[in-house]
Amino acid sequence: MARCAVVFLPQNESVWVETETTVLEAATAAGLRLQTPCGGQGRCGKCLVRAGEGLSEPTDSEERVLVHSDLADGWRLACQAHVVGDARVTVPESSRVVAPKIAVEGAEREALVAPNLRKIALRLPRPSVDDPRADLNRVMDAIGAEANRPERLAPLQELPGILRRSQYHVTAVVAGDRLVAVEPGDTSDQTYGLAVDVGTTTVVAYLCHLPSGRLAAVASDLNSQAQYGDDVISRIHAATASGENVSALSTAVVTVINDLLERAAYQAGISADAIYEVAVVGNTCMMHLLLGVPPAGLGQVPFSPSFRTSQTVGAVELGISINPAARVYVTPSVGGFVGADSVGVILASDLHRSEGLRVAVDIGTNGEIIAARDGQLYACSTAAGPAFEGARITQGMRASVGAIDSVGLDDDVRYHVIGEVSARGICGSALVDAIAELVRAGAITESGRMLPPEEASSLPEKVARRLVENENGTEFVLARAEEAYGGEPVRLTARDVREAQLAKAAIYTGIELMLKQVGAAPDDIEELLLAGAFGNYIRRESALAIGLIPFMPAERIRPIGNAAGVGARLVLCSVAERQEAEEIARRVRHVDLAERPGFYDRFADAMMLRPLPAAGGRGSSASQ
Amino acid sequence: MAVLDDLQQAIISGNRDKAKELTQKALDEGVEAKKIVVEGIAAAMEVVGEKFRANEFFVPELLIAQRAMKESLSMMSGTPVDHIGTVVIGTVKGDLHDIGKNLVAAMLEGAGFKVVDLGVDVSPEQFVQAGKDNSANVIAMSALLTTTMGGMRDTVEALEQAGMRNNMRVMIGGAPVTQSYADEIRADGYAPDAASAVDKAKQLLPA
Repeated sequence: MARCAVVFLPQNESVWVETETTVLEAATAAGLRLQTPCGGQGRCGKCLVRAGEGLSEPTDSEERVLVHSDLADGWRLACQAHVVGDARVTVPESSRVVAPKIAVEGAEREALVAPNLRKIALRLPRPSVDDPRADLNRVMDAIGAEANRPERLAPLQELPGILRRSQYHVTAVVAGDRLVAVEPGDTSDQTYGLAVDVGTTTVVAYLCHLPSGRLAAVASDLNSQAQYGDDVISRIHAATASGENVSALSTAVVTVINDLLERAAYQAGISADAIYEVAVVGNTCMMHLLLGVPPAGLGQVPFSPSFRTSQTVGAVELGISINPAARVYVTPSVGGFVGADSVGVILASDLHRSEGLRVAVDIGTNGEIIAARDGQLYACSTAAGPAFEGARITQGMRASVGAIDSVGLDDDVRYHVIGEVSARGICGSALVDAIAELVRAGAITESGRMLPPEEASSLPEKVARRLVENENGTEFVLARAEEAYGGEPVRLTARDVREAQLAKAAIYTGIELMLKQVGAAPDDIEELLLAGAFGNYIRRESALAIGLIPFMPAERIRPIGNAAGVGARLVLCSVAERQEAEEIARRVRHVDLAERPGFYDRFADAMMLRPLPAAGGRGSSASQ
Repeated sequence: MAVLDDLQQAIISGNRDKAKELTQKALDEGVEAKKIVVEGIAAAMEVVGEKFRANEFFVPELLIAQRAMKESLSMMSGTPVDHIGTVVIGTVKGDLHDIGKNLVAAMLEGAGFKVVDLGVDVSPEQFVQAGKDNSANVIAMSALLTTTMGGMRDTVEALEQAGMRNNMRVMIGGAPVTQSYADEIRADGYAPDAASAVDKAKQLLPA
C-alpha cells in the first residue's frame, strides 16, 4: 500500500498514512481530536472537513448528511472520507474537540474547559422520501444519543419554523444532556455564561465566553439587600420576620445581578440573550435569599440551613433577564455558616487535592477558615465582623479610590492612597499597617491601648504630635486636614484599634482552633492563603506583627484574590469542576468553634497585638 | 495596707502570678479573707471597671485582670465570704456567644456577688429553675444576635408565669440589645457593657 501525506490546516499538522485510512484516523494520528458524537457512524455531521483532492468519493452517508452544494464545495465527513492520495485538509474550529484552559489568576491553576452548556452547529439533511424522520429526531440524532427531550415546550414549538427558514442549518443548545433550544444558523460563538459571587456586602459578576473559558467582562456592585442590615444575622432576622421580606430580599439581589449582567454584556459587546447559564456562589444565607427560601434555621443554634445541596433552577423563574432557556446553578454549601463561597475558595485554590497542611482564610464579614491536610478538609466560620472591610471603623472604607491602603512610620507617617488622590479614609490593609506600626513605635500598647498625648513623650516628635485628644478619646491623625479630601483629617481612633482587635482575635482564634482540630502547630502550615480583596492589599509583615495570623515566614503567605469568584467561574466553565465542587461540599467537615473547649481563654490571648502564638512570656503563661 | 495595695495593682495589670503570690502573702500575714476580697480584689475590679468606662481598658485588659482576680479568689475558697447578692446569668436559647456574658459574670464576682453561670443556649425554663434553686436576686441575660434576643422576652414571661417577678429582677445586655428593648419586654435593667452591668446589678438589689 502506498503512503500519502496529509496536511491539516490551519493547524498545520502533517502526518503520513496508508491509503484508505479515514481522514478521522489521520487527524487523530496528527494529534487533532475531531467531534464524533455519533461514534464515527457518518450520522451526525459534526466531523466536517474540507479538501480539494486526495480523498475517496463521497459515501452514501455523506450524500445523506451533507447538502449537495456543500459536497460540491469539498465539504466531507472525516469519519467517512478515506485518504487516497496526498491531501490538504481544512479542519474548521467547530469540528474540533477543543479543551482550552482557563488561567485562573492568583490561584495558579488551570482547568479543562468543558462547560455544562454547549452549542452544536448542525447542517441537517432535509427530509426526503428516504429520510422522513421527525424534525425533533433529526436534531436529536445529529447531536448524538446523549441528548434528552427538551424540558421546555418552547423549543419544540419553534422547531418546525426554525428548521425550514434556516435551510436546516441550525444550532442546538444543550445543557448537560438536555436539548434546551434550537436557533437558526450557526450561533455557536455566541455562547456566554455568567459566574456570580453573591457577598453579603458586594456582588461580583464574571461574564465568560463558554467555549473558550475566556473572561469577557467583570462588573461589581454593592448588594442592595444592605437596606435590611449590614450583616447576615440582620438579613436573617428581616427574612424571618415576614414572607414579604423574603421575596423583597430575593428581588433585591436579583435586581443587582440583572444590572451587573447588563453592564458586563454591554462591555463585552454582546446581547444578554447570548447568556445561557449562570453559576452562583455565596454564603449559605445569600443562597437561601437568592432563591427566596426563608433562612429560618440559620438565626439560632444549631444554625441549620434549609438546603445545602446544589440547586438548578430556570433563569426565568428567578427573574434573571438572560436567554429564556438559561438555567441557574447554585453551588452547594457545607453548612449554616460555611457556604458555597468557601467551596469556591477550595476549588480555586486546589486545597482538596493538596498534600501537607495548607490553610485558607477568607476575610469578609464572616471570616471563613479552611484547613486542608493530606486530603482532609475542615472549615469553620468566625464572626470577625466587618472591620477589615472598613465598617465600624470611624473613617473606614473599602479598598477603592481615596482609601489609604498602606501606612509606614519612621520619624513621621508615610502612607499611600489608592488612585494617588487626596485621602478620604482607610481600608483594611491600612488599618492593619497603622496598628502594626504604632505598636512598634510604642504609641499603642500590645494590649491595644492608644497612648494619650501626655504619655507620648518618648515617641519621635512628629509622630507624637499626631496623637490628639478630643471628646471621642484619643486619636491618631494619619492624613492631616490639608492632605485629606474635603479638609477632614483621616484619623485612627482608639476605638478603631479595639474594633480591629476583636476582629483579628476572632480570625486568629479560628485558625488556632482549626490547627488543633487537625493536630498541627502553626509551624506545620506549609502555605497560608489569604482570599478576598483584603488579602491582595495586606502587607504580610503587618498581619504577622499584630498576630492576625500565626507567626510564620512571610513567604509562606500567599494572597489569592477573589477565590470564591474564581470558583464560580470554574463550575461555570467545566462540568468536571462542577462535580469536584459537589464532592468538596460533601467532604468538608464543618467545625463549630463555639463548641470547642478553650475558645474563651484562647480568644483573650489572641487579642494581644503581637506576633502569636507568644513564645514564652505573659501570653503563654497566662494560658496554662 | 501595703500588701493589699500591691494585690490591687497586680490584678489591675493582669499579673496572675503576682496576684497569687500577694494573696498568699496577705493570708500569711493574717489578713482576714473578707478584707482581702473587699479591699484587695473588689477594689481592684472597681478600678478596672472605671478604666474600662474611661476607654483606657478594653476587653483584653478586662480579660487578663479577671484571670488574675479569679486566681486570687480561688485561694479564698473554703473561707466563707459574705456575698452582696446572687445573680443567675446565662446566654439565651439559640445563642452560643459567651465572651460578653463571661466578662459580666467575672465583673459581678469581683464586685462581691455570688454568680451562678448557666452557660450558653439557656432556655427560659432553665433560668426559672436556677432562679428558684438559688433564690436569686437578679437574672442576667445576654444575647448577641437579633435572631435570638426574643429569648429574653420569653424568659421574662416565664418568670412572670412562675410568679417570681416580685422578688427577682431581670437585667439584659448584648450587642443588639437596647434600653428601649428592655422597657418593651419589661426587664428591670439594661447595661451597655461589663462595667456598668455591675452598677446596674447593685441598683437592682433590694434596699
